[in-house]
Amino acid sequence: MATELTQDTQEIIELFESRVNMYGLLSRLFRSEIDLDELHELQKMHFPTATGNAMIDEGYRDLYEYLKVAWEDSVTELRIDYVRTFIGHGVNGYSAAYPFESVYTSERRLLMQGARKEVLAEFRKNHLKKDKWTEGEDHIALELEFIQRLSMRTIEALKKDDEDDAIEQIRRQYEFLQAHINNWLPMMTADMLKFSQTGFYQGLAKLALAYTEDDEGVLRELLESVEEEE
Amino acid sequence: MTEEKPKDLFDEDEEFDPLEADDDVIDQEWMDDDNPYDTVDYPTMRNMPESMPGSGTRTMFTPAAQGSVAEAVRKLVDYNPARRQIFLNIIDMCRDGELASVVTEKVDALQKHNRSVFPAMTLCHMLERAGALEMEMPEVAEEHEDLEDGTTYLVIDEEVDPVWRSTEEGLAVHEELTQGREAREVILDRDNKYAEVYLAVMQAMDAAPCSREEIDNLTDTFDVVYHPRRYGTHFLDMLEKTDCCIWRDRAWHLTDLGHDLLPEVLAFCEQHMDDEPKQDEQKQEA
Repeated sequence: MATELTQDTQEIIELFESRVNMYGLLSRLFRSEIDLDELHELQKMHFPTATGNAMIDEGYRDLYEYLKVAWEDSVTELRIDYVRTFIGHGVNGYSAAYPFESVYTSERRLLMQGARKEVLAEFRKNHLKKDKWTEGEDHIALELEFIQRLSMRTIEALKKDDEDDAIEQIRRQYEFLQAHINNWLPMMTADMLKFSQTGFYQGLAKLALAYTEDDEGVLRELLESVEEEE
Repeated sequence: MTEEKPKDLFDEDEEFDPLEADDDVIDQEWMDDDNPYDTVDYPTMRNMPESMPGSGTRTMFTPAAQGSVAEAVRKLVDYNPARRQIFLNIIDMCRDGELASVVTEKVDALQKHNRSVFPAMTLCHMLERAGALEMEMPEVAEEHEDLEDGTTYLVIDEEVDPVWRSTEEGLAVHEELTQGREAREVILDRDNKYAEVYLAVMQAMDAAPCSREEIDNLTDTFDVVYHPRRYGTHFLDMLEKTDCCIWRDRAWHLTDLGHDLLPEVLAFCEQHMDDEPKQDEQKQEA
């Protein structure tokens, strides 16, 4: 691993920089409604057409089709759709795609359950604590940002040539993706497709699901190559 | 791809305080079947019957709910008296199609002295639902950009500014509501006992914009406003609802429609005043 990392360090750093951007983007889009400046920012994006993963392409295509004709009024439309998709208007636990892991992993679909405890413990283990966040720590935006943070630490470790730390950071990301994000995101994104009415949130659901599943595979391959080296 | 930086939801802090959060406040075990706070089985909004107030499209002004575009637009204008002139102005300004950005600018100017919680585009969507406006979205071509590494990306090169255009039905209602029919109905028919008061108020505003206090003082000089008691605001309210006056620059102004109706109201009052002595003579003879 040490030799391979040394040879391909730059490529791996580029991969992780792209992951930092992607997880940051996904986290932002799940965290709250977007405003006009952010809409204009999103319209400046480049949307890949052939990533090698059909669902990622479909997600990008949905986002592109929506943003291509989005204008000032679309901000209001997206705010309405965000509330419809993630908050809903019912109290039975089945009226929206609730963005909290506890809802999807507890028997009664309640907030602040075991998953939140586990996620909070994971954040603490990694010396992270909430700053401006006032909701449950098992919110999808926070979980995605957690991966973003660890990716940034991986880049730092690689730049310092601290390979052991880089591998440890990658392992933590892989385990968190496997144990948390990819454990419940498929259910939440299925609900997003059911409740959202704009191509924007339909696209986000497909992109988030396909990207995180794909990313788990990428990390697994990286870790397997390390084990083979060892 | 946009550069997304962490939004500081986390605070990277080596001196972490493990007692900062209390994890055991809520426990799922506590939510047993006898717990009155467990809302899992409660009825939800989604289960409400269609007939419940506020559900479905009943509260909206649409051709489907009101039977026709004309009726939906009339109801929309009628139920939003404070936005009446704005709605009618929007229909008029979109007669030949108008860019959404221009509509926003014009409506913001119109609402400068009469603020609303509704932004311009919400008002346009309300008219669209009623059938008075249609939105034309320009065709946007799909743009590709090929990068040196052989990958192809979709990019957005142009900003979209849709066009709002009034429908024929919308314009017909606009014509109907801006010819003074409702003003005549109020001043010359339903409220004609106060025709002289209306005339005085309209003449005063025609001479110069008036404050509410000035109108109050003016209307109080007529005996007819004491039984039953009618204050100046009643007359302003009726004239505003029928497009004869408007609040602008901290004063009440007579509109063009109000100015055009002045001769009619004057003629009505003169005729009425001529008739009154004759009626009194007839009563005395009888």
